[in-house]
Formats: sequence, structure tokens, C-alpha cells
Amino acid sequence: MRGIKFSFLCKEKPQRTGKRVAIVGAGPAGLTAAGYLVCKGHDVDIYDKMPEPGGLMLFVIPEFRIPVERVRLGAKELEEEFEVTYYPKTKVMEGEREDEGDEFYERVVKLSELRENYDAVLIATGIWNVGRIGIPGDDLEGILSPLELLFWIKGAELGYVPKEKVPDLRGKRVGIIGAGLTAVDAAFECNRLGAEVEIFYRRTIREAPAGAYEINILRNRGVKWFELVTPKRVIGENGRVKAIELLRTRLGEPDETGRRRPVPIEGSEFQVELDYLVFAIGMVPTPPVNGSYIATDRRGRIVVDSRHMTSVEGIFAAGDVANGPTKVSRAIKDGLYAAVSIDRWLRGES
Amino acid sequence: MERKYLYLDYLTCIGCETCETVCDFIHDGSPHIRIYVTENKQYLPINCKHCDDAPCVRVCPTHAIYRDEDGAVRIHEDKCIGCLACLQVCPYGVPFYSLKVRAITKCDMCADRREEGLEPACALMCPAEAIQYGPLVMVLELVNERRAKNIPEHRRELGEEELRKSVSSGYVLL
Ligand SMILES: Cc1cc2nc3c(=O)[nH]c(=O)nc-3n(C[C@H](O)[C@H](O)[C@H](O)COP(=O)(O)OP(=O)(O)OC[C@H]3O[C@@H](n4cnc5c(N)ncnc54)[C@H](O)[C@@H]3O)c2cc1C
Ligand code: SF4
Ligand code: SF4
Repeated sequence: MRGIKFSFLCKEKPQRTGKRVAIVGAGPAGLTAAGYLVCKGHDVDIYDKMPEPGGLMLFVIPEFRIPVERVRLGAKELEEEFEVTYYPKTKVMEGEREDEGDEFYERVVKLSELRENYDAVLIATGIWNVGRIGIPGDDLEGILSPLELLFWIKGAELGYVPKEKVPDLRGKRVGIIGAGLTAVDAAFECNRLGAEVEIFYRRTIREAPAGAYEINILRNRGVKWFELVTPKRVIGENGRVKAIELLRTRLGEPDETGRRRPVPIEGSEFQVELDYLVFAIGMVPTPPVNGSYIATDRRGRIVVDSRHMTSVEGIFAAGDVANGPTKVSRAIKDGLYAAVSIDRWLRGES
Repeated sequence: MERKYLYLDYLTCIGCETCETVCDFIHDGSPHIRIYVTENKQYLPINCKHCDDAPCVRVCPTHAIYRDEDGAVRIHEDKCIGCLACLQVCPYGVPFYSLKVRAITKCDMCADRREEGLEPACALMCPAEAIQYGPLVMVLELVNERRAKNIPEHRRELGEEELRKSVSSGYVLL
């Protein structure tokens, strides 16, 4: 197998420009930007809080979709052929905040320090937090964050997480709320580990972001699909999840996304018994700032202009941290165009 | 020069759209590999297959379509009269008429990049390694190997537990 060739635009590093760029976050956005920038002769250092580069592609998305080796070899090529330096286990933060995957970092570097020490900085830190959905009982034991769950499973296979950390799901009833890529992958993995999986979605399979194709593969594997329901509260026993109470919904008028809005039906409550519950919704961007150092919008995304520049001159942002949850291709596209702007800006063209 | 293939292995593709994205990037917004989203939301990248016995080459009345030394099926833009005969016969609906260029534009297996010794961008960047570029033997061996890995699982009765453990079989075991 060969690695993803992030430096697909050139054969070898051209003459050095002497400019230094720091990239925060080694997911597809950060690595692709690095590939472009080294092809323009800039020196690139990449900071990431995880023990190795790759982002969600390496640590969360299941192996049967994106092979670990393909990502690893790609990241390695940047290091060996293009002199990219990785600073793993290094969290970049201005202010303080706890995010998912924080158990791995050993050092903290301030974003403002990077701005001082480099000619330009690119933030590509993705969405590494899951917001509480705000219904009664949503903090009971047995409620798992999708990122954490998938990360434990894959992390254990990669040797980063002790096997004991992965809950024994054999024969357990796992409920998953949501129908995006995250929900689908959580369902695949729980099913593979022997759980009885049920997915609950507030619209119908037609509107499901992951699409009927993926969901039907899961159904063929025994995952139950439950549509037109929305969680009302989680019922616990001795502090642990015991069941979920759901409300039936019907589809009303289209909302701003053009999909018909789910309207809960009064008095339609019913309960489903569960051992674990995964809220695969509400993932939030995790910019390396908490406070006003750079501007974010009300959904926590970093605000950028048409050049991908943030409110701080010389700091750019790309990928899910600027867009909210999307797909690998969108992160790659953003990484490329942000890198084009960084290169122009470094050469004084804009 | 040895004939090259650009093979898209749909059983390995995860529909992430990266191929279209990088093709779009290097062709200023007019990608030659395009994602077609089916009604049940399967994301299918469609590109020119550079067919061995290419109907587009045979049908073109002005002989504007030719095969280059690496095996890519290409267009002489100045010979193309825009009759769309090639579109009629292409099983994949690949030939795309550009009003700007006033000729068919289609995948040329990254001709400019090949001149610099670079390989087609989609194949290099696909995270799932679903696109193979190279001589036919290389492509076939790789795909055969992938499929072969699944055969024992098809043929043998697997226990529930073994089935669950097999990660290589995301789609194939259905
Ligand atoms: C479960 C799941 C399944 C998915 N499946 C698919 C799929 O099948 N197809 C598809 O196209 N897309 C899929 N996606 C979406 C895709 O993974 C993302 O859109 C993409 O990875 C975003 O790339 P990114 O580079 O912006 O961020 P990420 O890949 O998230 O990378 C961000 C990096 O930043 C690091 N980081 C975060 N905070 C800090 C900090 N403060 N300091 C230092 N480093 C930091 C992280 O460790 C990480 O390495 C899936 C997403 C999830 C969650
Ligand atoms: S980049 Fe690869 S996996 Fe993604 S859509 Fe294209 S062929 Fe499929
Ligand atoms: S344009 Fe269509 S017919 Fe012609 S080589 Fe490509 S895939 Fe084959």
C-alpha cells in the first residue's frame, strides 16, 4: 500500500523560501495544506495533541473505510521527503478548555506564541467536542460520546488505549441517536462488537444525512432503524442508563436546510430499554482558543474571510473547525485553498 | 511506453468525494471526475475509463479522439466539432461539452502532470486507495488480492463471532 500523497502537486521540495508556517491539527485539512505549502518551498511544522498525525481519519473513522496504513504512510512521506516536523502530544491553546482526546497531550503551547514564532499559522483542529443535548438524564453513566467510543475501539486496535477501556458490548443493547456519518460508524462498530444496536432518528430515512444506502447496509446486518422519534429523557437506575423515553414525531414545514422539520407529537411517549446510549449529534468545533483571541461565531466555528484568514492577521483556519462537521473532501478542499492564500500572503501578494 | 490504467474500485470507494475535489482544484473548478449521488445517497465517482476498445474513438466523425502513449483517451480540441456523438455512445456519459473551450473536455489522465512525471491526482489523494493508476497487471493484482481476501469468508460458514471480527469486509459480506 502507498500513502495518501498530500504533496501531490510536486515531485520534490523546491528551493526554500525561508518562510516558516505552523499548522495546528494534523487531520486531512492540515496535512493537505502542509502538502501544498512544502511544494511552494515553505518550511512546515505541525502541532497535534494526539500521539500521531491523521486526525479523525486515523483515530475515529473505522479501518474498513480508510486504512490506517494509507494515512500513516502519507504523513510519513511529508516528514521524510519534505522535512515537515511533527510535534505530537502537543495541545495548542489560548485560554483553557477540555476537549475529547485530551488524555494524550503532554505539552501545551499558546496560539499567540506560534503567531510570534512563525511567519503564518493555520488552524485545522476540527470538531473534537460533543455538546450536551440538554434533556433530563443526559449525563448518566452508560451515555457514551461517539468520538470517545469510536476512539476507544480504534485506539485499542492501534495500541493507544488499554483493551479494558473498550466496554464489552457483546449482547448489550446500544441506542444511537442521529443518522449522520458519525451515527452510522458508531452503529457499524457496535454491531461488529456484538451489540444489539438500534438507531433513533427524528426524520425519515429519506432525510438521513448518511443516506439510505449506508443505513440499509446496517439494517441487513441486524441493526434496527427507528425513524420519526426524538429523545425526551433518559431514564436511569442507580446512576446508570436503563431506558430512553422517546416521543414520536411527524414532519412539518421545511426548515432553513430545506428538509421538513420534525414536530414532536404530544402524548406519544414510549420507552426503549438500553444498556448504552450514544448521542451521535451536536459535535462542536474546537478552535485552539477559549476567549476573544480570535473571533468565532455562535456555533463555535472560527470566522474566516475569503482568504481563510481569521480575525488575527497571519492566522488562517480550514476544515471542520471553520465549517462545522462536513466530510474529508471538504476538509481537503479547504486545506488546499487556505494554503493557496497563505502562500500568496507570505509572498506579499494579498 | 507501457499502457496505464486508471481503475476505480467501487467496492473500496467510500464516497468521500476527495477525487472530485482535487480534480476540481487542478482544473480550476471543472472536475473531470464527478460524483453522482444516487437516490439512496450512494456517492459514485464517475470518470473516463479510457476503454480498450473505446466507442467514443470509433464514433468520432472528425477523428478528434485519440489514445496517447500512456493509454489515455484524449481529445484534439481543435478537431472537435461539438456533435456530441461521443456522448451518445459512452456508457458512462463521460464526454462533457464545454461552451468555453468549444470542445469536449474529459479526463486526460492528468496529461500535464504526467509530463512532469506526476501521477493522476485523484489516485494519489484518495484516502481509501480506491483508484489505481498503473500497468494493467499491477491494477489487476491489487484488485484480485483485495477480493481474494474476502473469498474464504464467502465460502466458509463463519461463526457469529468471527463474522463480527472481520473488519476487511465492510461491504462485501452483504
Ligand atoms: C465518526 C465519524 C465518521 C466519519 N466518516 C466519514 C466518512 O466516511 N467520509 C467522509 O468523507 N467524512 C467522514 N467523517 C468526517 C471527516 O472525518 C471530517 O470532516 C474530517 O476529518 C475533518 O478534517 P479536519 O482536518 O478539519 O479535522 P480532523 O480530522 O478532526 O483533525 C483535527 C486534528 O486537530 C487536532 N487537534 C484538535 N484540537 C487541537 C488542539 N487544541 N491542539 C492541537 N491539536 C488539536 C486533533 O487531534 C486532530 O488530529 C466522519 C466523521 C466522524 C466523526
Ligand atoms: S476519493 Fe476515493 S473513496 Fe473518495 S469518492 Fe473518490 S474514489 Fe471514492
Ligand atoms: S469517454 Fe466513455 S467511451 Fe470513451 S474511453 Fe472514456 S469511458 Fe470509454
